[in-house]
Formats: sequence, C-alpha cells, structure tokens
Amino acid sequence: MDDPLIRLEGVGRTFRSGEIEVHALRQADLQIDEGDYLSIVGPSGSGKSTLLNVIALLDRHTSGTYRFEGTDVTELSDGARTGLRAHRIGFVFQSFHLLAHRTVTENVILSMLYNSVRPKERKARAMEALERVKMSHRADFLPVRLSGGERQRVAIARAIATDPAILICDEPTGNLDSASTESILALFGRLRRDGLTLLVVTHDQTVSSHADRTVSMHDGFLTEGAAA
Amino acid sequence: MTDRMRARLRPRDLLAESLAGLFTRPGRSLLTALGAVLGIASLVATLGIAETAGNQIITAFDELAATSVVVTTDQGFFGNAPQATLPWDSEERLTRLNGVTAAGTMGSVPIGGLLTRSVPIKDPLGLTEFQIPMIAASPGLYPAARGSLATGRWYDRGHSDRADRVAVLGTGAAQRLNITRVDQQPVVFVGDHSFVVLGILDEVERQPELLNALIVPEGTARDLYDYRSPDTIQIDTEVGAASLISDQAPIAVAPDDPSTVRVQAPSEPDDVRAGVEQDVNAMFLILGGVSLLVGAIGIANVTLVSVLERVGEIGLRRALGASRRHIAYQFLLESTGVGLFGGAIGASTGVLVVVGVSALRTWTPVLDPRIPLAAPLLGALTGLLAGLYPAIRASLMEPVDSLRGAA
Repeated sequence: MDDPLIRLEGVGRTFRSGEIEVHALRQADLQIDEGDYLSIVGPSGSGKSTLLNVIALLDRHTSGTYRFEGTDVTELSDGARTGLRAHRIGFVFQSFHLLAHRTVTENVILSMLYNSVRPKERKARAMEALERVKMSHRADFLPVRLSGGERQRVAIARAIATDPAILICDEPTGNLDSASTESILALFGRLRRDGLTLLVVTHDQTVSSHADRTVSMHDGFLTEGAAA
Repeated sequence: MTDRMRARLRPRDLLAESLAGLFTRPGRSLLTALGAVLGIASLVATLGIAETAGNQIITAFDELAATSVVVTTDQGFFGNAPQATLPWDSEERLTRLNGVTAAGTMGSVPIGGLLTRSVPIKDPLGLTEFQIPMIAASPGLYPAARGSLATGRWYDRGHSDRADRVAVLGTGAAQRLNITRVDQQPVVFVGDHSFVVLGILDEVERQPELLNALIVPEGTARDLYDYRSPDTIQIDTEVGAASLISDQAPIAVAPDDPSTVRVQAPSEPDDVRAGVEQDVNAMFLILGGVSLLVGAIGIANVTLVSVLERVGEIGLRRALGASRRHIAYQFLLESTGVGLFGGAIGASTGVLVVVGVSALRTWTPVLDPRIPLAAPLLGALTGLLAGLYPAIRASLMEPVDSLRGAA
C-alpha cells in the first residue's frame, strides 16, 4: 500500500458555542509520510493544538477527509478510533502526565494495557523502551525523584513502547530548561534515524529547526514552511 | 482496520489498575469504606440479635416447660405473709380440670435433723448414718414430675390412707444408703422409725430435689411427724393448656382466696417472640439502612472527588487507548472494591456484636450463615451503585479537555 501515513484534505474544525462559530482549523491539506520529522509552529490560539488533536484522533474534524494509513477515519466509531490510538499513535505531552505513585517502569507499562501487547512481554518491552531513551538506570524510581528532562524521556519511552506508527508531541519541551531541551531534541534525532515518524507541535524556533519539515499555523490556516 | 486493532483491557489489568487506585490513597479508601462498615455492621448485628433472641425464645419454648404449672403457697415478699395451706385433696381437685394430665402435691417433712441409716447396727468404723431430707408426696406426683423408677414401684393411695411405713428413695439417697435393689424389701431407719423401700427413683424431669430425698406417702408423714400440709403442687398439662390451667388452678385449690397461692407457668412464647422481634428489627433495620445510605453517599462523594482529581490521568488513559467503557469500569471497580471491603469488615463487626451481646446475656448466638456471606456482597452492590454517577462522569470526559485540565 502506497498510501501516506497521514493525509488531510480540506480538513476543518469548527467549534460552536451557542450562536458563535469559531473556525479553529480551515481547509487544511497536509501529508505526512512514514519517517517524516514534521514540526507545526504558530502563536498560541493559531489552531495548532486543534490540528494536533484532530491528527491524534482525540478530536473529530467537522469537514474534509482525513486518511490514516489509507483508512478514512471520518466515519470511524469512537471505539475504532480509540483502538487506533492504542496501537498506532504515541503521545508526548508538555506536562508529562506520569502517574506520581507508579515507578518509571510501571508508567511505561501503562501504555501497553490497552492494546495487544501480551502481559508477559510488557516488562521486557518497557525496559527496551527505557534503554532507547537512556533511562533504564532509573527504572525503579518514582517520577518525583526525576528531573523535568528525565520525566519527559520516561514519557517518550511510554509512547514508543507500543511501537506506534507516529509519535505526536505537544510542546514536548515547553516545561524544560535549555539543557534538557537539547537532550530531548537529540533523542528525537536518534528516534527519527531509527525510522520513527515524528510530529512535534511547538512555538520554539530551536525545536522546529531540528525538524525536516515545518508547517505554520496562523488564524486556523495551515501553510507549508516556517512563517516569517 | 483489523479486529486486532481494537482497544482492549484484560480483566486482570482492569482489576490491577482499580486496586492500584485504591492503594494509592489507603487512608482515604479506609475512611470511605467506614460508611459501608457501619451500615453493614448494624444490619448484620440487627439480624443476628433478632435471630439469637428468637432462638432463645424457641429454646425456652420446649414441650417440657410449656406443659408444667407449679402452684406454691405465697410466702410474701419477705417470707412473712400469713401461712396459707394447700388442701390435701389438691390432686383430686386439679385432675378434674380439663387439660390436666397429672397433678401431685409434695412438701418437706420436718424430721428435726434425724439421721437415716439402712442397717440397724452402729458401725464404729464406717459412716452409716446420713442426713437425708424427707419429702411427703402424693401418688400423683410421680407422673406429674415425669419420674421414672430404676427398680421397684411407686406407692399408691392405699399406702397413704393406711399410713404404711413405706418409702421410695431418690437415686442419690439410695446410693448413699447403699441400696441398689428392692426385691428383698430393704428397710431404712429414720430415727426410731423404719420404712420399707418400695422403689428407687431413677430420674425426674421436674422437681429434681426428689432425687436426693426419702419420699414417703403423705398419710405416713402426717401420722409420724408434724406434717401439716403440702407446700407445692406440680401439674402436668396438655400442650397449650398451661396458660388456662394457671388461671384455674388457684381457684381450684384456694377458692376462698386465690391470691394466697402463687402460680409459675410458662410465658406465652408467641407474645415474647413477637415483642422482641418487633423491637429489635424495626428500629435497627431502619438504622442500618440509613447508615448504609449515608455510607453510599460517602462513597459516591469520595469517588467523584477522586475522578475530578484524576482528570489528567483519565485524559492520559484515553489518549493511550482506553475507551470510555474502560474508564467507567475502572472507577466502578474502585468504588465496588471499597464497598466490598467495607461490607466484609462490617459483616465481621456485626458478627462480633452478636457474639458479644449473646455473651453478656448468656444466650447462644445464632446467625444464618448466609447473612455474613451476603453482607459483603451487599456492600459491594452499595459501592457499585454509589460509583455509577462518578464513573459515568469520568467516562464522558473529553481526552482533549482532560489533558489540558491537569498536570
């Protein structure tokens, strides 16, 4: 199958609040191929989070067509979209979202609860993912004892442990200092060289400059290339 | 889209996640369970105490007690009331009443400390004389007291009328006097009087003091000693006639002043049991129900707070592929777990209360074994119902909002 990983054609998302309609995303066309390292930039309120939520199947677009691995997800049921999230999409958030009372390993295993990874394999796969983000030495730590950068690396391990088709990162360095940001960006570079598809939403020029491609969002419009 | 791609959650994982949720805040989980503990404990205790008390009444209501009426002379509260006497012909008067199967009079004979011996010789080496109480009894006492003889026979009216020197020995008295058979007509001596032993009383179901006594006919006691009147009448009635007979007996034996005699009759079992069950059941069942309701509201409240606190976790799980149903199940299972735990502790507490109350009142604790087994399930059901609303709230949260909502 020669379908691109992700193809948006004229995708829009309109929020309705009583009489008022807000077009958070208008007529977006975007293609992401396997192995791409794409960043989405734009000021806050430009609609980049909306675009990310639509791509991540966390939100439903209101117009246009969205194909994920060739499947039109517009018509998919909630359950099927949830299944796609569980198996094909990895998430990294600005605020890490690690469970405070679980160890690093347990946090990584959490992502394998809802898909087809067999219980016996989980531990090994978690350790492998932690190895890839160079966090295996902290496997038994609780998140509170980790630095911000370390926490984000655990979150990335959690996302890649399920072997997703794409890693979607929402402001992954938004809560990090510059040194930690550097290490995360270096990690992204390594993951990308391993063949992982990366989509990073950011407002940080440093972060977007590491990507192969950058698209900009402005007032709900998507344009190829970094905005001036 | 293959079926393999469906979001799933193994039951074991669901259970583990719910338990982890509970053990993350053990203190809070314990306090939450307290409501269910109190509710279930009071329900179990109520049912247990009602059942125990009911059983207590059933035990008291056995055929033996229910058919026994005892008439005695009223001694007054301090034992100084004017001495009433029971007529000699009480036995005939009472057996004429409908519902009486047997009646017999008896009374202690004042023998003034005379010793009883079985051989007319004094043995300086052995103890041959004993202080054995003498009881005068009418022939009807034997069936009325439900006695049975080890050997020999009970005397009859003729012995009494002729004031024959005969006696029946209680089994205890017979042992002390070393008399085991009566076929050779053994004789016992009380002071200077001799009595031919007719029989040995083996057992009585009523008036157990007979077993250690020398029992003589009333006519004999009247003739030899200063025996003025019987002091006790034992009546054996038909089943169900006891309460009627206890009303009629005083009039039959003391028609001039029935208040001079006292009647001991079994209490009406139905009244007592109904009274106990009404008192115990109604009040405490309501109390238990209210506690359980309060407990349920407590569980609902805490689960809701927990849902609102864990918005971020809910969003994360949804992003990782948990369906709405998975989220709902997780919170439902948590609240059900709290209810189950509370129910189990409550059932144990309730059982302890039943045992404690029974011990204080020297009752036999009785509890339907299904109650302590069903109680934790009732607790779990309470938790399940209490968790419904919070779980639905959690499952309806949008992952996008939830992920922004909290760190």
